[in-house]
Amino acid sequence: MRKIIGIILLIIICWGIILALYKIPFGIPKTKVGEYYIDKGREETGAANVVTSVVLNYRGFDTLGEVTVLFIAAIGLGAALATLKKKEKRKIEPSSLILRTGCRFLFPLILLFGAYIFIHGHLTPGGGFQGGAIIASAFILVYLGCRGRRISEVSSKTTESLGGLIFVIIGLVGLAVGGHYFLSNFLPKGELNTLFSAGIIPIIYIAIGFKVGSELAGVIDNLMEES
Amino acid sequence: MNELGLLSNGVNPVLLIVVPLALAFAVPLIGFISKKIIKYIPVLAFLFNLIIAILLIPKVLHQPIIVKIGGFQPPFGINLYVGTVGILFSTLIALAGFLVSIYALNYIKEGPKEKYHILYLLLLTGATGVVLTGDIFNLFVFFEILCISSYALVAYFGNRAGIESSIKYLIQGSVGSSLLLIGIGLLYGQFGTLNMADIANQIQSASSPSIFVPMVLMITGLGVEAAIFPLNAWLPDAHSSAPSSISAILSGIAIEVGLYAVIRVLFTIFGASNFLMFFVFLGVLTLLIGEMSAFSQKNIKRMLAYSSIGQIGLIVFAVSLNTQYGVSAGLFQMISHTLGKGLLFLAAGYMIYRTASMDISSFEGIGKKMPYTSLAFTIGTFSLIGLPPFIGFPSKFMIIKAALAKEGILFTVLVGLVLLGTVIEGAYFFRVVQVIYFKKGNGNQERKEAPITGLIPMFIFALLIIFIGIYPNFIIKILNSAASELLNKIDYIRSVLG
Repeated sequence: MRKIIGIILLIIICWGIILALYKIPFGIPKTKVGEYYIDKGREETGAANVVTSVVLNYRGFDTLGEVTVLFIAAIGLGAALATLKKKEKRKIEPSSLILRTGCRFLFPLILLFGAYIFIHGHLTPGGGFQGGAIIASAFILVYLGCRGRRISEVSSKTTESLGGLIFVIIGLVGLAVGGHYFLSNFLPKGELNTLFSAGIIPIIYIAIGFKVGSELAGVIDNLMEES
Repeated sequence: MNELGLLSNGVNPVLLIVVPLALAFAVPLIGFISKKIIKYIPVLAFLFNLIIAILLIPKVLHQPIIVKIGGFQPPFGINLYVGTVGILFSTLIALAGFLVSIYALNYIKEGPKEKYHILYLLLLTGATGVVLTGDIFNLFVFFEILCISSYALVAYFGNRAGIESSIKYLIQGSVGSSLLLIGIGLLYGQFGTLNMADIANQIQSASSPSIFVPMVLMITGLGVEAAIFPLNAWLPDAHSSAPSSISAILSGIAIEVGLYAVIRVLFTIFGASNFLMFFVFLGVLTLLIGEMSAFSQKNIKRMLAYSSIGQIGLIVFAVSLNTQYGVSAGLFQMISHTLGKGLLFLAAGYMIYRTASMDISSFEGIGKKMPYTSLAFTIGTFSLIGLPPFIGFPSKFMIIKAALAKEGILFTVLVGLVLLGTVIEGAYFFRVVQVIYFKKGNGNQERKEAPITGLIPMFIFALLIIFIGIYPNFIIKILNSAASELLNKIDYIRSVLG
């Protein structure tokens, strides 16, 4: 009985969403805001990557919010796990020499790749979140491969906080000097398509990259303790 | 122009969101210097917000402030809409946040304290963001900040009940958030903009299915946090197993911010005046179910939580009357509920702490052991029931008057049901007061009060309840201006888009 009611409800919701989707023209660029970003984005923000110009400049406030959501998720997980009693330390079997050497070799390369992704966020696809996730994947590799090694909690916490603070402080500096708008792009925009362009965007992306990387690594660290 | 005016001219309302956010990020760094000063950070942050918000009120009453983030013209960038409604709620959030953070100085003694203060700061930052933003996706982001930090705080004690109710809350809240996001996506697909004023400008009528479906999805999604029946199954568990300081914030701020979002979406974006009759019935239903469930509770915090559901029903009822007077009355009831329920949870927190039990029967004779706390609790209950001279009296009186101003036998019947709800409310609150004062408790009669950091916030809450109860005209002007902002969609659109 419950299943049947569930299915009927689902059909009603689907029907409603289909009705609404039906009104959205397919393949026609109708969105005026989107067109504005494509036409004006490059010259207004100086970022060659239009997506980045939207994410960090036109809608930078949302991104600040999303960074905060991730921060809360990491802190909340830590708070929920902190109260659980620590179990006895499991005995960790050391990994083989080949695995350990492979991890050691790959770790700096993955870090480098992650850094490349977030430093070039305003030029090529990718950005702070993606670069941060790649960096965190390097830490998973270390956790799985070179067992027993841990990241230092102090430095991960410091990076996390500094990343968030830099984002907010850049916004506040914009409020103070750049025409009285929070998060306004007050730095020179530079030449399009070069590394030193787009004003505050690369700085914020570097901060986000560090923050996301250390946050995700911290989450993994928290969960490794429990498993 | 006097000094205060000059000061408020220079203040950008975005600071109301950014300063607590920056402090939350800074807490771990400050923790390296000294663990002891962390707990004073929320106090400072919300004192700052309270001052800024109060300074902004005169200016906002004159004209809403549109804050363009990044300096981009709406609808291309994100804007904050700091109107009377926004500033009224931010003041309320800052006030409750300030008082409850004083309370938490001594109340939060164990557990991951540093994380508690970060999450507390962020919860209220999210709430402030929701009430100030003028962009619908930005509203979603702040709503998530609000919700996710409350999930984590409900589980703060880490006991079984806390984790279980937190998971329950998490699942229902996430389903709600997804529905909200789908609704926003459908709107964006149709209008190509996320700015609330711009969308409102393009919506002619909410009756066509392509508009009606996103509206239903968004209202359902937001309704989970607002605890409108039948979306409120998570609330009694979550509010009763959280630390009392957090229960006060969840009951006094979080669900009302959810309700604000529902009202904003309904009134400003969709202008859905022809569906409001549905919400009138839903409100009365929520009220009766909440009050009846509260009546049968033996656990004090569950009783207060169910009573919150009842109060939300009453507010929904008042606002859905869709008249200037009705909406003012609904907003007044929100203020009254924040102050009253905040006070009740704070007082109950130390009463539970003393007796080590949430059972109402264990409060026998506590009126002698903790006279001030018991007095504060009693003031809170009397105010929520609607007795003069407390704030609950003028707010409930306004609601009844607004409902009776609507012609027709139907509204007379509904007013009868609302009064029935109040009678039930009176019955269960008087029962608690009777247990506190008129039953002899066994065991030691030693007098031991709540600490001074607990008594000060309770005292201020009680003072405000009595003060506004005697001089309701003190805030009537703000309420009227807020109600006309909500009812007048055209002005909202014009002030944003020019």
